[in-house]
Amino acid sequence: MTVVETLLVFVVAPLAVYLLLWALTYLPGGRKRQGLRYKPGQPWEHEPVWYEPQPENAPTHAAGEGDTQAVGSSLYGEPAAIGSSDGHGPSSGGSHGATAVSAGAPAPAAAGPLGGARGTW
Amino acid sequence: MTRVLDADAHDTGTVDTAPTRADQGYDTIFSYRELARLDEALTMSSRETGLRFTLYIGDLGPTTRIRAEELHARGGDPLDSVLLAVSPGQRVIEVVTGASAARRLPDRACALAVLSMTNSFASGDLVGGIVNGLRQLSDQAGHPHRTHGH
Repeated sequence: MTVVETLLVFVVAPLAVYLLLWALTYLPGGRKRQGLRYKPGQPWEHEPVWYEPQPENAPTHAAGEGDTQAVGSSLYGEPAAIGSSDGHGPSSGGSHGATAVSAGAPAPAAAGPLGGARGTW
Repeated sequence: MTRVLDADAHDTGTVDTAPTRADQGYDTIFSYRELARLDEALTMSSRETGLRFTLYIGDLGPTTRIRAEELHARGGDPLDSVLLAVSPGQRVIEVVTGASAARRLPDRACALAVLSMTNSFASGDLVGGIVNGLRQLSDQAGHPHRTHGH
């Protein structure tokens, strides 16, 4: 085994392994797949979004009753608001994406006392 | 990454085609995996308890409690529904329980779940906190048939 071979095997090869692992760990791009990272204190500049549970028999029927079978299957909003069969018709106001709240909709009166809790962080 | 084009939107959807429209470009707050976790947590806790858990993430305005109660009343089935309204920008979470949901989820249990959620939120884990909070709330509410005692 020559000196060059020794160096290659015992110095260059371990260094290559270390560099590969370092690159896989620290180089940018790896974290982008995990979506947005929330940090407390930063402003929240996203559209409001309202998620609701899937109805009991959701996966079998197509989006016929105004349910959306979209991304999370729980995006509450525009499809249900537009396609709902309660006679509103296409209320194509300023409904973006997954917003459920249209400003013009009248808020029905609450029935009974409400409970709950509040927290800050 | 695909991005939403900055073009003027012209709505070509009709009443029939709007529910299947997929070109709207959702605000990518969460990754698909996180969305799946949220979806599963909401769906399973709602099915286990018979209550209707919904989750609102967005700004709640200056009067957060009143706004959250408005939203709760506007969603379907206000009596049996539980709304988790999270406003990350204001660092506020409001849990609103309807009148009959509040019998199975007392305010003290909600406060405990809120406490655990705010702990996760403070360390930057929105989805994990919400999922754990939903788990606590649904554990507390229990199964609907068990409330009659046996």
